[in-house]
Amino acid sequence: MKKIKKLFATLSVISCVGILSTGLATAADHTIGALFPLSGPNAVYGDVFMSGSDLAVEHINADKMLSGPMSIAYEDSQGLPQPAVVGMTKLVNVTGVPYVLSAFTGVSKAISTLAMRNEVVAVNGGGVGPDLAALGKYFWNVIPLVNLEVRAAMPYLVKERGIKRVVLIYIDDPFGNSILDELKSSLEGAGGKLVETMSVPTTAQQFSGIAAKVRAEKPDAVYIASYGAQQIQIVKQLRDNGVDQQLITYSGFLVPDALALPETEGLIATGQGVNYKSDDPVTKRFVTDYTAKFNRAPTAYNVNYYNATLLYGILAHALEAEGKDVTGANLLTKREEMGSFDLVGGKVSFQSNGTLLFPIQVKIVKDGKPEVLTTVDFNK
Amino acid sequence: MLALQLTITGLQTGALYALTAVGFSLIFGSTRIFHFAHGATFIIAAYLFYFVNVSGYGLFLSVAAATAGAIIFGLLLNRFVYVPIQRDEGSFFTVFVASFGVGIVVQNVVGMIFGRGFVSVQTPLSFSVELMDGLFVSPLAWISMLCAAVFFGALWYFLRFSTMGMALRALADNPELVRVFGLNPRFISACAFTIGSILVVPAAIISGATSGLNPAMGHHVMLISLAATIVGGIGSVPGTLLAGLALGLAESLALLYVDSQWTEAVTFAILFLFIIVRPSGLLGRSAVH
Repeated sequence: MKKIKKLFATLSVISCVGILSTGLATAADHTIGALFPLSGPNAVYGDVFMSGSDLAVEHINADKMLSGPMSIAYEDSQGLPQPAVVGMTKLVNVTGVPYVLSAFTGVSKAISTLAMRNEVVAVNGGGVGPDLAALGKYFWNVIPLVNLEVRAAMPYLVKERGIKRVVLIYIDDPFGNSILDELKSSLEGAGGKLVETMSVPTTAQQFSGIAAKVRAEKPDAVYIASYGAQQIQIVKQLRDNGVDQQLITYSGFLVPDALALPETEGLIATGQGVNYKSDDPVTKRFVTDYTAKFNRAPTAYNVNYYNATLLYGILAHALEAEGKDVTGANLLTKREEMGSFDLVGGKVSFQSNGTLLFPIQVKIVKDGKPEVLTTVDFNK
Repeated sequence: MLALQLTITGLQTGALYALTAVGFSLIFGSTRIFHFAHGATFIIAAYLFYFVNVSGYGLFLSVAAATAGAIIFGLLLNRFVYVPIQRDEGSFFTVFVASFGVGIVVQNVVGMIFGRGFVSVQTPLSFSVELMDGLFVSPLAWISMLCAAVFFGALWYFLRFSTMGMALRALADNPELVRVFGLNPRFISACAFTIGSILVVPAAIISGATSGLNPAMGHHVMLISLAATIVGGIGSVPGTLLAGLALGLAESLALLYVDSQWTEAVTFAILFLFIIVRPSGLLGRSAVH
């Protein structure tokens, strides 16, 4: 009996030490959450997003910006609202994070109410639906939204490239429908015409029939508004099935898998303008370390999630310096207080709707790389 | 011209659906195993072909690797997952859940090995040629239809005239009687998995070239296979073949009458129609109670 008591006593002491040491570590640790597509047809983005956020964590920890080591708790959203809400609930209620990285329009809209209700900051660096600018004060965007991309591209394409008749192929979800609305008004405003619109279900994989309908319309260009593996399938199948018109799309297309496809050659895409050659130390360090670590040039998505993570480091550092708790509410107050931030691409500030404003570039894919055709700065 | 174009496109899609679905139907019809991981077989075959092909080993070795991979996966799954479950008299539902789980594991393992992004088999055969004004057909469309004809011809001959083919049909009808005749149902099941897995290989290879690949596409493949199996009549190989072709054609020709977003829904509308009007399917046998 004594032996059993001793055993229980020993185990209790070990448990207490364990709990205390964990508690002590947690007090100094900084964990933020991330809801990225890590499986399913949108998983192509997961690695791209993580490469940016992980590099920022490395830099924050190397600089000892915070009182303890920082880490990211990743949850698999699959790029879909339902798994994202499950992941967000876990991050908020179990992991207890004050700050969550989000991606995809549908996902971001689905988790925004949880973010607002629990006073957790959600930062989007990948979704571009225009609705994302109106999801409340706890939802921030470090990416320009797609309405700006379409608004920037259409006047250039109509006037400089003589593109008047456009067919739109769009995914049947909030993101695709927002592009439809924006394209209608931007194209007509620029003197062009949307001659046909074709929506596709999120699960569709066969587009040879759609290609036949596109050919029958004889447009000057085809605008593709989809994401993940599907948008690459659309481009491949349009080209394979005799659609030789100009293809146009948005920033979501410019991922390594798509650029590696021969059928992508000549495609025009818009995207946020980032001056990778800037002399500011944040940009220089990011570009140098990213290129060295991943053996490829960074893209806007890498920049966005680096910036979103670094932003947490800057805000949490400022809060800790003042002896305040790092909570969602305090992070929001601090962001509004500080106003502008030194991030990759230079000094940036948020608009009143919580969205960063970047210049928009119109690019063409040549030899598997996007080349800038023109830059539109809405700040000017 | 658009109708003709969509008909040819539909036949190509239908041929691929039929090849995939008939494999599933043969396995299900013979063994009564709900082989949900048939989509995983598709993924394994497609990625093995892609990997060996981009590694520069040529067409023959790529096809051989894809075929070997599909067969080995099917046989291993049967031997180490389905047989133990059935030995313990596991329910139909247990087999389904196990198969579903294997499908998810394969999806993730393929993602870890080959990457989770989009890849495609690059071949000039996927580029369409303008046969007449407004009619574009790629060589792969003809190859798809030819593959379907050759494989189904061979399968029909095998099931009709070979001893093993007759044993497979007998297993579907009455497993107890198969034992009485001194045949080994487990060996016949293994044959069903081998043939069913081989049938998926041409569809996997051609899909890799026409629509590209990602590790998550197995579920979609399985949904179409399931729909074709039910519409064709559960266990009926000719019925599934016809249903696969019909679903591909319907999905393509629907573009003439409905918005593009509804084309996939047409497949499942047909499925529901059959479930309500003719539950036994196109060529299935009605159950007698």
